[in-house]
Amino acid sequence: MTPEEIIASGNLELYVCGALPPEEATEVEEAIALHPEIKREIELIEESLLHLAETVAPPLEAMTWTYILNSIRNVKDMGDSKVRSLNWPAITGWAAAILFMGGIMWMLKQTNDLNNSLQVTTTENTVLKEEKSTVENQLAENNKTLEILRSKDYQAYTLPGNQAVAPEAFAKVYFNKKENVAYIDVKGLPAPPRGKVYQVWSLKMEPLTPTSVGLIDSQSEAGEGIYKFINFPAPEAFGITLEPEGGSETPTLSQLYTLGMITI
Amino acid sequence: MEQPNDLIIAMQNGDEKAFSRLYTMYGEAIYGIIYSIVLDENTAEELVQDVFIKVWNNASSYSVKKGRFFTWLLNIARNTAIDETRSKAFKNTRKNLSTTNFVDILSSSDSLNRATNAIGLKKFVDALKPACIKIIDLLYFKGFTQAEASKTLEIPIGTIKTRNRTCINELRVMVLG
Repeated sequence: MTPEEIIASGNLELYVCGALPPEEATEVEEAIALHPEIKREIELIEESLLHLAETVAPPLEAMTWTYILNSIRNVKDMGDSKVRSLNWPAITGWAAAILFMGGIMWMLKQTNDLNNSLQVTTTENTVLKEEKSTVENQLAENNKTLEILRSKDYQAYTLPGNQAVAPEAFAKVYFNKKENVAYIDVKGLPAPPRGKVYQVWSLKMEPLTPTSVGLIDSQSEAGEGIYKFINFPAPEAFGITLEPEGGSETPTLSQLYTLGMITI
Repeated sequence: MEQPNDLIIAMQNGDEKAFSRLYTMYGEAIYGIIYSIVLDENTAEELVQDVFIKVWNNASSYSVKKGRFFTWLLNIARNTAIDETRSKAFKNTRKNLSTTNFVDILSSSDSLNRATNAIGLKKFVDALKPACIKIIDLLYFKGFTQAEASKTLEIPIGTIKTRNRTCINELRVMVLG
């Protein structure tokens, strides 16, 4: 096609309007590069269309350009500062959240620890209370025993150790004749060997008649190292022998630890 | 008017002054195109802003070796305006825009750009044949393809091309003298 034919074809007008299919647009572009008159023709078409569109437009506000300029500058600024500043609120937020979580965990642990130690303390308190009540009971018991032993109704006797068996041993007897009650303090006796037990005897001298009063064991214990025996037959002497467990019918005289006469 | 390729290249390299001068050269025409589609000054001004922000952001996608800069702008402007007319918000406020063309705007509006020119334009608007008004409106202002214009106007596709040339020639004589 000659330049004149191209100009007359109507393709250039469509080209400027943007209505020409791509392959024909390429042809026009090739023609523009080759023929200055085609370029000139296109410029004239464009100019008249440009003026037509301008006449249709209402007055364009100056603010429109200001707005465009601000927008493209904001976009640029945001692009520059994005990496540096935009992340801070997020970082701060996350840091605060992590600190907060850590704080909660720490406080939970503290509470847990406190609860545990409170429990331990409570248990210790209970144990101490029990111990205290035991000690108080014991003290009351001892005081009671002491009261009894101090009263004038009780007579005190010291049973010296048998020279043959236990020269160092001794025992103390507090005896209430009226009520036939005896308290025996065995602190001066050695601890009985395994399987053996001390037995307390009431003795009549003429003729020698031993009567078992009971065993020195937990059943008769009245206080620390002090044992109580009731229905104690009025004796003339007290004896304590070491007997096999459960006690004996008659005293094993070879194991007589202490013996004391009642002197009236 | 020769295409200001040096300004275009400067803009593509981020030169705001060059961009400003291109806006001065093409802004009103783009406004006219958009206004003829959306027929609302505020909407049209907002869309002009959108179009030129797009132009700045996508400047590298245009090449001075391929196609006219004005045609490139025209496509962005028409697509932006047509997208707007398809939006829900727009549809709720306005209807039946397709029946309005640039001549209707010229005849009805009393706040036209370039008052002196507008007086002269009245004459050429009267002089332009109704057939020319329709075909320029579709191909230029509304961005129709030849086939679409042929279907809408119910004339053969070959006739579209030649009639468009004749009509724009008439326009040239009146606008450029």
